[in-house]
Amino acid sequence: MNEFVVALGWAGMYGVMALGAIGSIIGCAIAGQAAIGAMLETEGGYGRYIGISVMPSSQVIYGIVVMFTLQRPVTAETGPAMFGIGIFAGLALLYSAILQGKTCASAINAAKAKPEIFGLSLAPAAIVEGFAVFAFVFALVIAGGMPG
Amino acid sequence: MSDRYVTLMASLPPHVPSLFANRQTPISRLKLDDRLQMLEPQDAIDLALIEELLHWDRMSMEMTDAQMIERGKQTCDRLDNEFIKDIVRWRLEIRTVVAALRRRHLGRPVPSAGSKWGYGAWMKMIETHWHEPSFGVERIYPWLPEADRLLEESDSLALERLLLNQVWDYYGRVVGDHYFDFEAVVVYVLRWDVIDRWSRYNGEAAARRFDRMVESALGYYVSMFA
Repeated sequence: MNEFVVALGWAGMYGVMALGAIGSIIGCAIAGQAAIGAMLETEGGYGRYIGISVMPSSQVIYGIVVMFTLQRPVTAETGPAMFGIGIFAGLALLYSAILQGKTCASAINAAKAKPEIFGLSLAPAAIVEGFAVFAFVFALVIAGGMPG
Repeated sequence: MSDRYVTLMASLPPHVPSLFANRQTPISRLKLDDRLQMLEPQDAIDLALIEELLHWDRMSMEMTDAQMIERGKQTCDRLDNEFIKDIVRWRLEIRTVVAALRRRHLGRPVPSAGSKWGYGAWMKMIETHWHEPSFGVERIYPWLPEADRLLEESDSLALERLLLNQVWDYYGRVVGDHYFDFEAVVVYVLRWDVIDRWSRYNGEAAARRFDRMVESALGYYVSMFA
């Protein structure tokens, strides 16, 4: 039983970073595809399309920070907490990155047609980022109170 | 949302919300076809089938009604996507209602039961209510009385405008939350076809008007030097 709990602890510690990375990979790929499409159609402003498309990369950074915060000896006492914090924070980061990628794709598509709404079209992506930050910050707070 | 078509949809210029605000298609057919090469092979086949059935320019004038209907049914059978099937069915039903209006306008009798003169769920209703102004389907097609009136007045341009606007609005309604998938591509291309049709219609009407003006101007000078 102890070995299983320890395994869960390791899964939580590494999982938060891995899930964040998966989310960032998918999110950046979706937004990146939209940026490429928009570049085919427009004559300029390519840099800002690429700039928007990398927005979902922040989730993997949050995942790395949470992973280092969770880093401590994995025991039967610390394992369950590491699993709970790591996996659930990781899932939040995963989903936020994918959906942020979709909102970025829509923002690129809209800004291509109407450049004047470029700033405003980023608001949904920024709000999604805000929720990812919640998951990240509270993972750090909870991890600070863990035993060990 | 299918990620596959994010690049394709983002590479297409948007349609203006109002059909009649479009003076020309937002992208040339050559360029559109070039972009559509990003489609998956099966999706490209499906789109070609849909356009072949629904695009006016690709319809053969030599086909009989029965052949057209058979082709519509075959196309629906070959499509797997229910969303796209619904679009095709809706368009064929619209054509059926308009065909009924035209038949009645030409003084033809009620189509005999079982004859292949139309497509869809409203054929029986139309046959039963043949002599009513809107065939008893006014609730489904509230624009029918106006279409009937325009047909009576032989105002073909206004009728074309009315029908194209119905199709345009329908596409706008059904596309819903399809932004980056095959459904969005199909609706985009079909809307492109509507703009193409309207802009050509405008061009043809302008050319006819120009011819009439030239004739009348020449007529003036011909009479002047006569």
